[in-house]
Amino acid sequence: MKLEQLTALLRASGADDWELTRTLEDGWEFYGIRHALDQHRAKRVETCRVKVFRKSADGQYLGSASGEVPPTASEAEAKKLLEDLLLAASFVRNPAYSLGGPRAVPAFPPQETDPAQMARSFLETLDAVAETATEDINSWELFVSRQEVRLLTSRGIDLSAVVPAAMLEAVVNAREPGTDREIELYRMWRSGGCDREGLLQAFAEAMRFGRDKLRAGKTPALGRADVVFSTDAARELYGWFIHRMNAAARVRGWSDWEIGQPVAEMAGDRISVRAVPSLPNSPRNMPFDEEGSPVREMEVLRAGVPVCFHGARMFAQQLGLEDSFIPGNWSVTGGTAGEETLRAGSYLEVAEFSDFQVKPMTGDIAGEIRLAYWHDGEKTVPVSGGSVSGSMNDFVKTLRASRAQRQFGELLIPAMTRLQGVTVTGA
Amino acid sequence: MKAPFSPYLAERVEGIRSLIAMLRQEYDYVSVLSTDSVGFAVRISRRAKSVSRETMTTERGHVVRVCKDGLYSEAAFNRFDPDRAEETAAWIRETLNAQLAVLRAAGGKLSVCRTPVLPDEPETLLAEMETGRLPENEDMQALIGRLSAISDAGMARGEGTLDCGAAAQCTHISKMFQTEHRDLRQSYVYAEGSVSVTATRDGKTEVSHESVSGRCGPELFDDLTPVLQRALKSVDELLDARRVEPGEYDIITMPDVTGLIAHEAFGHGVEMDMFVKNRALGAAYIGKRVGSDLVTMHEGALCAVDVTSYAFDDEGTPAGDVTEIDHGILRTGICDALSALRLGVAPTGNGKRQNYAHKVYTRMTNTLFDSGESTLEEMIASVQHGYLLSGIASGMEDPKHWGIQCIVEKGYEIRDGRLTGVVIAPVVMTGYVPDLLGSVSMVSRDREVFGAGGCGKGYKEWVKVADGGPCLKARAMLG
Repeated sequence: MKLEQLTALLRASGADDWELTRTLEDGWEFYGIRHALDQHRAKRVETCRVKVFRKSADGQYLGSASGEVPPTASEAEAKKLLEDLLLAASFVRNPAYSLGGPRAVPAFPPQETDPAQMARSFLETLDAVAETATEDINSWELFVSRQEVRLLTSRGIDLSAVVPAAMLEAVVNAREPGTDREIELYRMWRSGGCDREGLLQAFAEAMRFGRDKLRAGKTPALGRADVVFSTDAARELYGWFIHRMNAAARVRGWSDWEIGQPVAEMAGDRISVRAVPSLPNSPRNMPFDEEGSPVREMEVLRAGVPVCFHGARMFAQQLGLEDSFIPGNWSVTGGTAGEETLRAGSYLEVAEFSDFQVKPMTGDIAGEIRLAYWHDGEKTVPVSGGSVSGSMNDFVKTLRASRAQRQFGELLIPAMTRLQGVTVTGA
Repeated sequence: MKAPFSPYLAERVEGIRSLIAMLRQEYDYVSVLSTDSVGFAVRISRRAKSVSRETMTTERGHVVRVCKDGLYSEAAFNRFDPDRAEETAAWIRETLNAQLAVLRAAGGKLSVCRTPVLPDEPETLLAEMETGRLPENEDMQALIGRLSAISDAGMARGEGTLDCGAAAQCTHISKMFQTEHRDLRQSYVYAEGSVSVTATRDGKTEVSHESVSGRCGPELFDDLTPVLQRALKSVDELLDARRVEPGEYDIITMPDVTGLIAHEAFGHGVEMDMFVKNRALGAAYIGKRVGSDLVTMHEGALCAVDVTSYAFDDEGTPAGDVTEIDHGILRTGICDALSALRLGVAPTGNGKRQNYAHKVYTRMTNTLFDSGESTLEEMIASVQHGYLLSGIASGMEDPKHWGIQCIVEKGYEIRDGRLTGVVIAPVVMTGYVPDLLGSVSMVSRDREVFGAGGCGKGYKEWVKVADGGPCLKARAMLG
């Protein structure tokens, strides 16, 4: 089925409104075990997602239902699916909201989207990683793709973009000389393309952590301690602020933050959060969101005080926001400390977690420690095992962050963050 | 009724076989997995309602696997005209050759892993499994009505109830595996329902989540009241909960937490594609003790009937039932077909893809501890000071070092052999897998399986799994 046919079916479907997003993905994948190619794969996938809307007779509700129309669907099959969706939408009673119309979207600088070129850059970078006799790459998986997106709506939106997507997963080994003891560290980078220097630095850092993990002792049972985050686990900390400012979270009661009211009594640094249209090499550089709204710069949280919620139109309009969008990239500022200040006294700096998480609603943090550095004020020792726990609702009151920022994918966040009073269970 | 095999796939068999014949002129092995799975996901809460015809496993497409000179390659696509198979064959050849050209142009140290050619013994199968109803025929108005009633009943809890969500998703899977000599077809239906309650009290907000699953149709959602009742009880317990004093405790795991341990400890820990990469400590422990005598663990699509109990996996290997741990001794792992060839073992029916566009990895199906001889009451009575752990939030594997991270929803305090009524939440359980399994000292007689949710390999490749077992008594670090 061609796009034009599907559009015609949508127009004739009787839907009060509709959205159609077609994505054409040309993907290349390579899988390696040490310096040998394990497998390679290609994919060419066309995805057509439709959403149909049905207004209630009194205009108070707007229902919707969505689904994927396979590109191989016959006209009869597609028509039946649309009929089923429309029927289902008539039973869905969400508060009425307005859909957006056509608007100018920002122009993004051209990016490399040829999977062959992208793959070659990554493969050459992998080959340039400085392995040693005791630290090397165990295995890796490389995914690059060109994604051609077109979004059409009944309100006249017709937007197109061609964007790259890349993901590199790598496992790094470190071995103890003269023994068979070996450890591994897992890495996954999502990006818009190959940042050669950034990746080489990241591999070097992973190998350094690997050496330290080999000589790590057991994490002491510290009870309550200050914990410093300087690696990508910090994404979760700031993701919590972003989640709490999501209109959907506010509407559904998962966030009780109010515009103009400080999120807590903050004796530490007051965090500011800003949506930004793009970041260098971000995996989410897209000029419009999934509803066809242009992305733009928007202040969400200023010095610990909510300024504006963000997110999908259905929820944003329940908060009185007519012009909302779903941001892809974020910049978090507000840190006032230098590295020296953040490293003062005793603290645990966790470099590697099994899977560090911050529960969006409750703010509960949790993670098993795979590698940390215990700084007792005089000396520093690598440790492993045990866990951290506590609540961001408490930590935000005394959180300290660095002025310097570091980018992790779609997030530009303080390079170092220090939380006070974290529960540290020993190994 | 039988879940009918996809007519769409049946109509494309001849085209697929033509494609295989064309590619066999150039490649030593060719297989095609074709999928056509339909379903729905309905979520109803006071604040937001949604209906989608997509679930985690709805898909329609094809993936071709070829082997030439020991190198395996794949091409996935979802536009296929059976009358123009030669065009697809040409695209596959050209693209895979272009990839190899890029590899050569990139230069460097890269060689090729050579793997023997997969066997292709003649076999035909059509497995259409039983279901009550089909998702594609479900009455959406009635379903939305039932879920709305559950949501309304949850909201009736009263003051402090922020939202109550009821969700139902059901998928009718059809998969077809074709090679030169094999023609395997299967269809089955699985369903998952859940209820979550969000409530606040004294500035504290919590959410409880309870679920139910099965290899069945939408009839699973006809009465979600028991699931709602569990969610309502749980949210009150979470609001009353306090933090645990970090330390090592006697624990009793309810079957859901038992399943999480099974999954993270010796589920991921014995996925043998990790053996190929020397990424799993388990490879060195085959035949050795990894748990107490009371620990026996099974894995396989035949071990239970739940969301991932299929007839054959995504490589055409029949479903299995593997005894991974037998009275504390690690016997074997689970294996996809290519890893099995490299390791010189038999595949176990655990080669799974997220969908047709994704690679096969060794993945879990049903991962279960065996039952024992004790009752839960006897187990509680044996604990001086510890916790009965219930509800799962998440877990993370560490096959290389055998660390384990389980984030458990809550724990019920036990003192002097009795539940005190004190609840702790959330609970981070960590430890060293052999220490944890080695400390298992009592196992209950009953057993439950849980199939809601998904499992990633690292942080991607999401597939359906089920896990569970009886209650276990052990010792663990809680924080």
